[in-house]
Amino acid sequence: MLSYLIKRIILFIPTLLVIAIFAFGLSQLTSDDPVLQYDNEDGRTGVYTKRDLIRLENHYRVVREKLGIDKPSFYFSLNAQAYPDTLYKFLLLEEREALRKLISTYGNWPAIETYFNQIKQFEYRILALPDGLPRKEMTDLKKGVRDLYDEYKAEVIASKLEKIETVLSKDSTMTVELGAFFSDFKGNYQNVISTATTYKLYIPDFKWQGFNNQFHHWFFNFIKGNFGYSLITRQPAAKRIIPALKWTLLLNLSAIFFAYLISIPIGVKAAANKGGRFDQGSALGMFMLYSLPSFWLGTMLLIFFTTKAYGMEIFHGVWAGNMKFENFSTDFWDTIGHLVLPIFCITYPAFAFLSRQMRGSMNEALKQDYIRTARAKGLPEKTVIWKHAFRNALFPLITIFASIFPASIVGSVAIEYIFNIPGMGNLILSACLQYDWPIVFSVLMLGAVLTLVGMLVADILYAIFDPRVSYKKN
Amino acid sequence: MIFGNKKEKILIYRIESGKSTNSQDSLFWSRFRKNRMAVWSLRVLWILVFFAVFSNFIANEKPLYCKLNGEHYFPVFKSIAIDFGLSDWDAVFQSTPWHDHQFESVIRTPIPWSGNTIDLKSGNYQSPLDTHKSEFRHWLGTTDLGRDVLAGMIEGARVALLVGLISMSLAALIGIILGAIAGYFGDSRLKISRGRLILNLIGVFLGIFYGFIVRSFNYSEGSFGIEFLKSLGIFTVTFILFNLLSILLKRNSFFRKQVTIPADLLIMRVIEIMNAMPGLLLLLAAVAIIKQPSIFYVMVIIGLIGWTSIARFIRAELLRIRNLSYIEAARAMGFSEFQILLKHAIPNALGPVLITLAFGIASAILLESTLSFLNIGVSDEDVSWGKLLSYARQREEAWWLAVFPGLAIFITVTIFNLIGEGLSDAFENRE
Repeated sequence: MLSYLIKRIILFIPTLLVIAIFAFGLSQLTSDDPVLQYDNEDGRTGVYTKRDLIRLENHYRVVREKLGIDKPSFYFSLNAQAYPDTLYKFLLLEEREALRKLISTYGNWPAIETYFNQIKQFEYRILALPDGLPRKEMTDLKKGVRDLYDEYKAEVIASKLEKIETVLSKDSTMTVELGAFFSDFKGNYQNVISTATTYKLYIPDFKWQGFNNQFHHWFFNFIKGNFGYSLITRQPAAKRIIPALKWTLLLNLSAIFFAYLISIPIGVKAAANKGGRFDQGSALGMFMLYSLPSFWLGTMLLIFFTTKAYGMEIFHGVWAGNMKFENFSTDFWDTIGHLVLPIFCITYPAFAFLSRQMRGSMNEALKQDYIRTARAKGLPEKTVIWKHAFRNALFPLITIFASIFPASIVGSVAIEYIFNIPGMGNLILSACLQYDWPIVFSVLMLGAVLTLVGMLVADILYAIFDPRVSYKKN
Repeated sequence: MIFGNKKEKILIYRIESGKSTNSQDSLFWSRFRKNRMAVWSLRVLWILVFFAVFSNFIANEKPLYCKLNGEHYFPVFKSIAIDFGLSDWDAVFQSTPWHDHQFESVIRTPIPWSGNTIDLKSGNYQSPLDTHKSEFRHWLGTTDLGRDVLAGMIEGARVALLVGLISMSLAALIGIILGAIAGYFGDSRLKISRGRLILNLIGVFLGIFYGFIVRSFNYSEGSFGIEFLKSLGIFTVTFILFNLLSILLKRNSFFRKQVTIPADLLIMRVIEIMNAMPGLLLLLAAVAIIKQPSIFYVMVIIGLIGWTSIARFIRAELLRIRNLSYIEAARAMGFSEFQILLKHAIPNALGPVLITLAFGIASAILLESTLSFLNIGVSDEDVSWGKLLSYARQREEAWWLAVFPGLAIFITVTIFNLIGEGLSDAFENRE
């Protein structure tokens, strides 16, 4: 048993690793700048002085370090030879995008790097110009140079350069200060075009990036229990997940409890008079319940029983704002009032499913030889069913719990959305819609870990409850 | 003559095997027909299919036929031609909404509204019981912008059935291929030459490079779906090219050596990984990444996630079938393993897949309607039952928005589940 356990746990590692890589890969497909998400504002507007520019870059550096994105993304990279492996070092997403586009047009990284770095030099030089220059020209110049960061099409860059040149030629101070630099700059740009090596775009290149990468840090931090920071609220991810998990667990565990409580007697009774009226009736009923979409029933219950529109305001409606449970005497009944309908909506599909399972396993148990023996002994039917068959029929249901429970961590997204319960379902929904990847990762990984553990627990429970099951090698 | 002899044998073998499956099939369907609920579900399904196929002719703001300024038009037919890129609208119809024309004579569809026609005269949630102010009656009420609920329901039938069809075809394709390989070959029977294995690995590597990495910029500019298909095409071509190359490598004795691939182990690991990830979360994250929402992407993603149960089913069937004597006979006759798998093993395992397909369609429809209910992955133009239902949360008094679309989802899901039950009962009584 122990060696089986160890073997299973060792098999978890590759599975979890693949899931982690998969989740990480998903996040790399998005084109958002996590720093901007973290800032909730466009950090690049309002850069007019050298101090602002430096401050912006420092800010980016700090946030990128905090979010762990100041590193290459994975252990290795597969890319065309034209691309450098140091692109991640550029701070702003637009810069990286523009660089990628430049490379994909010309393919000669060294020339592009010189040109691109000179844009920054150009910006610094403009900011270092003496005071007292005409304001309009200064703004035009700053904007013209800043626009160069985003451009990659030859004709657009040419027209921008021309514009800058006309601005420069209008003012004598500017011409003196920047003229030489600008012609050098232009020469560098011409160099990018003239030495283009587009063939390099089609040569695959495999580069080793080392262990100091985003995935490595994220994965090992996850194992240590550090889930990273939410991009939207800036809180540690665990701080958002744990309160949500409390509500979801409350909701789902009570739903599972009620589902077991009702489904076991119904399943047993249906199996005991197999083919009878109760069996057929309950089978059809369960089947209908099983097919009934819970988000539809939830919506109907919410509309008909919680609003004034139909005069049947029995339960509390949608939860507004944050749910708190501080004072037992006042909050208890309020909480119950809010939770009855959602719990019902989560219970009934599970209940329909479980009673079908219970009926099936009870049927299987009643076919066994020992039941015939018990009946032949003259035991009353009640004892046969509850004492002999029921105990054996219960194993499959116990193992089902191990598979239902991990699924309930993710919560019932639609039900929590309908009743506005601040649980995991709502958290996941908003995290996915706002591209809050640290949260999505953590929940995905937690769900996966729990599912794997659930499968293992199911197997172990099987062995404990049913002595016939053995995981020893024959 | 040896050649002719073999062909004859194959022919006889085929006829015989064909016969036996036919009689099996008819027995199976006669058992299925005894299940009254399932048969009724099938009938309801035909009605749904009828609505889905002819929804353009049932609910449409465009008339079937109209006469305008002395000219005859057939707008519904024309709109179908336009959808296929064969035609263009006449200038008369481009500027004015359909209901504002003064036709000289006109034949309208039974419901003269499209699912997304905006009718402000009946806007702001008009109840089906209210006196109607519009030119044509809204039999099941309207939404906030006066969109007709009945028309939306009929167009929603098409969306729902398409979701089931497309997502489950994709799932079946992946599931059958992977499940069959896992079940038939197991861990020890899939043998390929060293050269082929190496070239396949290089092929996958280069296929990903040329198909996806080199073309990564096209994604930001073109439509995601089309670009993805192009990438997939390039990937496949690269992959096939490298497989052809492997024939050349066979001359070398080192590359000719056979390697055993533990297909079952690998594929079961993939299935375990897929099952360990919370499906809905995966779906939400994947749908959120694609920034041009469309129901089509939702269908594809559901298919990509939902193949595991089909694969497990097929695998279990093939584990049974591969030991049957007719497979051994086919092997003795000198068929190649892949021929046996494709022509003799898989066709016999397809029956039980129907069960998982029926249940799979039910859950795919349920998933898609849940997503559109949450307003994820649907664009503004898309009409679906889940989206109609979501309007009910915005206005509590609008009971018609809560009742009718939900009922449609419920009925559709139920009939597919009942068909699945009927199929599985018919199969269980097989022996």
